[in-house]
Amino acid sequence: MPQTEEGQTEKAQTENSSRDQILQRIRTGLRTVVAEPVAMGSDRVIFEPINNPLERFQQECVANLMECALAADSAASARQLAEVLQSLPEGEIFVQDDPSLRRLIELTELGRAVRWSSQGAPGEASQATVTLAEALIAQTGSILVTASCGGRGASVIAPCHIVYATIAQLVPDLATALSRVSQERTLDRNSFACVISGSSRTADIEKILVQGAHGPRRLVVILQTAQSR
Amino acid sequence: MSQTAAQRFLQDAAVKSADLMHREVIRRGMDSYDAAHLKGRARIKDWEAARQKCQEIKREAINHLDRYLLQFEEKVIARGGHVFWAANSEEACTYVKNLATRLGVRTVVKSKSMVTEEIHLGPALEKAGIKVWETDFGEFIVQLREEGPYHIVTPAMHLLRGQIATLFQEKLGQKIESDDPAYLMAVARRVLREAFFSAEMGISGANFLVADAGVIAISTNEGNGRLCTSVPRIHVVVTGIEKVIPRLEDLAVLWPVLATSGTGQGITTYGTLIGGPRRPVEADGPEEFHVVLVDNGRSQLLADAEQREVLHCIRCGACLNICPVFRHVGGHTYGTTYPGPIGSVLTPHLNGIKEFKHLSYASSLCGACTSVCPVKIDLHHHLLQNRRNATEAGTTKSSERLMFRAWRHAMLHPRIYAVGGWLMRKALRIVYGLGLAGSTLDPMRVWNRYRSPVPLPSESFRARWRKDRAAN
Repeated sequence: MPQTEEGQTEKAQTENSSRDQILQRIRTGLRTVVAEPVAMGSDRVIFEPINNPLERFQQECVANLMECALAADSAASARQLAEVLQSLPEGEIFVQDDPSLRRLIELTELGRAVRWSSQGAPGEASQATVTLAEALIAQTGSILVTASCGGRGASVIAPCHIVYATIAQLVPDLATALSRVSQERTLDRNSFACVISGSSRTADIEKILVQGAHGPRRLVVILQTAQSR
Repeated sequence: MSQTAAQRFLQDAAVKSADLMHREVIRRGMDSYDAAHLKGRARIKDWEAARQKCQEIKREAINHLDRYLLQFEEKVIARGGHVFWAANSEEACTYVKNLATRLGVRTVVKSKSMVTEEIHLGPALEKAGIKVWETDFGEFIVQLREEGPYHIVTPAMHLLRGQIATLFQEKLGQKIESDDPAYLMAVARRVLREAFFSAEMGISGANFLVADAGVIAISTNEGNGRLCTSVPRIHVVVTGIEKVIPRLEDLAVLWPVLATSGTGQGITTYGTLIGGPRRPVEADGPEEFHVVLVDNGRSQLLADAEQREVLHCIRCGACLNICPVFRHVGGHTYGTTYPGPIGSVLTPHLNGIKEFKHLSYASSLCGACTSVCPVKIDLHHHLLQNRRNATEAGTTKSSERLMFRAWRHAMLHPRIYAVGGWLMRKALRIVYGLGLAGSTLDPMRVWNRYRSPVPLPSESFRARWRKDRAAN
């Protein structure tokens, strides 16, 4: 950050008496010179390069205890969605209010009550939430969602979270996904984002893995291989 | 006279390391961690490069701490959030307590945060009449047991499923029908769901504060951290000033490395980024967003040319898991918020060298901690430096100083040393002969009380040396 901006930053403070003292202590402390080892050469490759993103994504989904269903087009996606929804108990579902999801829900021809994200957050009664994602990440088998994907609760409140995505959204690795978030200023438009890698879990008792802790027990990605929704 | 921290440590360590049940539980837990950790490391092509990258990221952040904290603060405030800088525990607790009172908060849901343990936020809020729910499964269990977390990542790893079933039966007022971990989790989920939807305030920690994006990053597996930061109308983040990192892209390495070191996972299930309160167009989320930046002694470490890097710690728990001392004495024995090697290094800085210098000796200096640290903190050397610092600060007992003076004298005068050695061998032979090995009369009691006596050599090292030289 250039020096000229620093003055403005200092002004942007909240009511706070210790703030300046702490900053002063930090600045005084940093005057101490610390010997540092030489930085690493940039030629070292930390992660294995991803050659086949789709294959990698599918592998990681299995490892992360999540489901990935490939669908050729929107009709096939609707069939996949219907299949998942039919396996769930009776009750309403929560759906992100987006034209593509409205079309998809229509195509499923199921008589389930739908609560749209434009009507507010999902409630405890929701059997499933259906949302879009900002991106899919092959390296870690993750989906990236933001507040725009139906809000914060949409990916955590219901026992089943279904994500409708297309192959064009698949990026090779975390670095690509995060630098895109930076470049596109996604976090200026959203108060929240989350990289989700699998269903909720715990291993707090005797290190035994339990699938389905406070969040969804099932995370299903319907991945449409046709380029557009 | 009440016990000192050092006396309590020795007493508890003796009890715990002789507790076979405890050893078995910890051994099983650590075995499964070890297997997962090794598998996780193998997934990263160049683990050493990853560690070095993480070290460089944290070093850059800490070396420009003021600048990055201000950058973070500016962004959060621009989004309508609040940032409070707390010099110590009291300031941090008072801020949260006043905020809760002002906004009519009666129930708080908390996700796991070691900084809130450090500043004792839970008890402070309870004292003000606010109900606090720990919602991480392990934290929920230890909260019901009214004890602190055993481990910084897995707070209830010292307990068996049967103990947890009994605990739930006693404390939750409902019939517990099984000790299956999945069933027990489901019970906790039901109880805590009610808490999530009735609480007005959610309190979380932060694994990272991302300066350029102005967001906090939280890693959780269970999803309780997600609910704490989504459902209640107020979200308070309590975290240490050292958690800052320069860029969002840094998480591309830090997230996998933290997950690998913490649990052996390739990545934690939820990597959440939050930069402010709910925006008007958003479907849900808290209306208030507060970040409490806690100093509590951290800024002092910046001026320590040897130990500044202790602030690089990302609290993964890897040094606890590998430490032979932790594995024997267990987490609670340390009597500190942060147990294990990192706790032994950090606690004297945060809570005083005089009371906690004994922790510098709770180590065999084997260096296992240093070898696994994902940000390459030179932990065992910092323990040595703390020993030196404590001695230089004059915290040692006069009897100890006298003993070392005598030792030094003997080392500089071979004849005196030889006589001393001879006397010691004679004395020990008598003590052993009388069957007093390990008793209070045994000078080797510290070692001999739990072990078969150290065998005595028939002759001194010097005598053997001379003989061997003559033979060759």
